[in-house]
Amino acid sequence: MPSTTNKWEWQIDKSTSFWSHSPKELWAYRFLLAGLIKRQFLLNYQQTILGPLWIFFQPILTLVTYVMVFNKLIGISTGNLPPVVFYASGIILWNFFSDSFTGSSGTFKENAHIFSKVYFPRIVMPVSIVSTHFIRFLMQLLLFLMVIIYYSLFSDLRLHLNIWILALPVSITFIGLMALGVGLLCSLLTAKYRDLTNLVTLGIRLVMFVTPVIYPVTAIPERLRWVVQINPLTPLFELFRLSLFGEGYVTVPQVFYSLGIIVLVLIGATLLFNKQCDKLIDVV
Amino acid sequence: MPEVVITVEHLYKMYRLGSIGTGSFRQDLQRWWTSSVLNKQDPFFQVGEEFDSGKYSQHIMALQDVSFEVRQGDAIGIIGSNGSGKSTLLKIISRIVRPTEGVVKGKGKVSSLLEVGTGFHQELSGRENIYISGYILGMSKPEIKRKFDEIVAFSGVEKFVDTPVKRYSSGMYVRLAFAVAAHLEPDILIVDEVLAVGDADFQKKCLGKMREVSQSSGRTILFVSHSMQAIKNLCDKALWLNKGRMQAFGHVPEVINKYLNNNQKTNFRQSWDNPDEAPGNNWVRIKSVELIPKLEHSENILDIRTPLLVKFQFWSMKEDIVLSAGLLLFSISGECIFDLPSPTTLSHKGVMEGECLIPGDFLNDGSYYISLNFVKDTSVPLFDFDECLSFDLQDYRGEIQWYGKWWGTVRPKFPFCIKQADMVQK
Repeated sequence: MPSTTNKWEWQIDKSTSFWSHSPKELWAYRFLLAGLIKRQFLLNYQQTILGPLWIFFQPILTLVTYVMVFNKLIGISTGNLPPVVFYASGIILWNFFSDSFTGSSGTFKENAHIFSKVYFPRIVMPVSIVSTHFIRFLMQLLLFLMVIIYYSLFSDLRLHLNIWILALPVSITFIGLMALGVGLLCSLLTAKYRDLTNLVTLGIRLVMFVTPVIYPVTAIPERLRWVVQINPLTPLFELFRLSLFGEGYVTVPQVFYSLGIIVLVLIGATLLFNKQCDKLIDVV
Repeated sequence: MPEVVITVEHLYKMYRLGSIGTGSFRQDLQRWWTSSVLNKQDPFFQVGEEFDSGKYSQHIMALQDVSFEVRQGDAIGIIGSNGSGKSTLLKIISRIVRPTEGVVKGKGKVSSLLEVGTGFHQELSGRENIYISGYILGMSKPEIKRKFDEIVAFSGVEKFVDTPVKRYSSGMYVRLAFAVAAHLEPDILIVDEVLAVGDADFQKKCLGKMREVSQSSGRTILFVSHSMQAIKNLCDKALWLNKGRMQAFGHVPEVINKYLNNNQKTNFRQSWDNPDEAPGNNWVRIKSVELIPKLEHSENILDIRTPLLVKFQFWSMKEDIVLSAGLLLFSISGECIFDLPSPTTLSHKGVMEGECLIPGDFLNDGSYYISLNFVKDTSVPLFDFDECLSFDLQDYRGEIQWYGKWWGTVRPKFPFCIKQADMVQK
C-alpha cells in the first residue's frame, strides 16, 4: 500500500488543540484579514450621506452630551484638565474598548452562517473586528490631537511632551488586546448559551463606571479607590492622559499589574478559543 | 497507481437533537466531569448498536463507521437520500466540523464549496464581493487580481460589477458566486449540491468547468449531487451513504445502480372499482393497470430475460371519440426509453382495455417505471397517468464470466456473430 509511506500534511479528528494554526497558515490568511477590515468599513457607511464622517460625528455627539450632563448638570470634577479634553480622551478610548469587545464577543453568533460553510482560522474574524475599531480609533485620535492643539494654543492647557509619550502606544495597544481577550472569552460563552449575551451588554455598561472615563481616579474618595484600581483598564486610561498632559494618577507597579493581567487573559482566551471553536460550530 | 491524498478512517459523527436549554447544560457538565475530570469515555457517545435502540433517541448518528481512500486525481461522487450524512462528511473533510470519532488524514490544499455565495454581502458591489469571497475561500490578493477578468467573464455580469449584489437577479448572484469558486486552484476540491441552483445552461457550464478541473489538471474532486447524470458525467468513483453508513464505494454505474435499486418500490398493480374515485378526468378514468411478468415458474425473479405484459383498463366517459393510448417506459433516473403509441380506435362510452408486451431480452438490468397517456384525435392530450407501474429487472449473465455493470439502457439480443473469414497459413 502506498499509504503507509505517505506523509500526511493534515489530520482531522475529534481532538482539538490549543495551538490549532501554524504561523504559516495564519500568514496565508492575511488577505482575508485585510479584506474583512475593508468590508466592515464599507458596510458601516453604505447608503449613508455623511459616510465615513460618522467616525468623527459619533464621538463628538457623545462628547457634547457628556459635557452637558456630567460637567454642567452633575458637576463631576475633571481634575486640572478642561472638561472637553478630559471627556474626549475618555470617550474615544472607551468606545474603542467597548466596540472592540462587543464586536468580537459576537463572533460566533454573527458569523454562524459563514463558519458552518467554509473553513478558515476562526480567530481571523475577531481580530479583524478589533483591527477595524483600532483604525477608527486612530482616526479619532487625530481629531483629538487637533482639539488638544487648539486648547494648548488658545487656553491654558499645557502639553507635557516628554519621555512619557512613549507610554501612549502602550496604553492604546493593551486596551485593544484586553478587548480582544475578553471578547474571545465571551464569544465562546455566548455561542452556546445566549442568555449570557444579555449579561454581557449589562456588564460592559457597569464596567464603564469603574473605569476613569467620565471622572479621574483622583475624584474618588481614597478608601474606595481600590474598586476602580482593581480594574486592569484603569491604569491604562490614566496612563493615556499622563503621557499627553502629565495628568494621571497611576504608578509603575499598577501599570505592570494591568499589563500582566491583560497578557494572561489574552493568552488564555486565545488558547481556549482555538480549543473550543471547532466544537462550537455544532451548536451555534 | 496514484498516491492516496485523503484517507478517512472509521468516521463517526453524532449530533444532539432538540433544543439547547437547562437539560443540555446539565449534560454538558456531566460530560465534562466524566470525560475531562474522571478521564472516562464520553457518557453520551459509545460506538455500538445501542444507538438504534432508542435509548439515545436524543442523539442522531449522522455518520457511522465511514472509511475510504481518495487517490490523486479521483473524482468521487457522493450519493444518498436526504439526511444520509453526505454534507456532514464533506463538512468534516473541509475542517468545518469535527468528527465524534475517527480520523481523516490528507495532503494538499483543500477548498470547499458547500454553498454558493458564502461570504457574499448584499450591500457590497460585485467587485468587492469577488474579493471578499475569494479571500474567504483561501485565495490570495494577487491570485484574485490575476483571475478577476476571467471570473467576471465566466459569470457574465460585466456591466453590473460595481452594483451592489442586492440588486442582482438571483441568477446573476449565483453565477457570480460560482464563478469565484470555479477559479479556485486547490489540490482537492469539495463541492456540495450547488448545481441545483441556476438554469440548465449554467449547470452545464459549471459541470464543464468542474470536468475541466478534474481531467485536465488532475485535481481531486469530491462531489455531492442528487443528479445521477451529473455524477456519471463527472465522476470515476461513487460513494453511497445511507443513514450515515457507507453502503457501497467503487465504480460509478454499479454504485448508482445499487442506490437506485434500493430506493425504488415495485408496483405491479393498481385498480379502482368506482369511476368517481379513479384517477382521470371527464374524458377517461383509469380502471386498472397491471404488469404481468411471463415467468416460467412463479417463484422465479424478474430478470432481463422475462417478457412483461402490461394490461390496462379504463372507462371512456364520452361517446364517439377517436382515442389512442401511449405507453412510456422510463429508467429510474428519468430517461425515457421509449414512447409507444397505440393505433387509434373509435371509442364509445364504457370500459376499454389495452395490452402491450415488452419482450424479454430487451431491457438492461435496472429499475424502470411506466407512464400511460391518452390522446384524442392523435393530437389532443386527454390525460397522463404518470408512474403508474414500476419494476426491477435483475441481471442475468448466463455463461459470461464478467460481473461489471453492463452498459446501456437496453440489452437486446440482436442477431450478432463473429466467424473466421480467413486463416493465416501455418
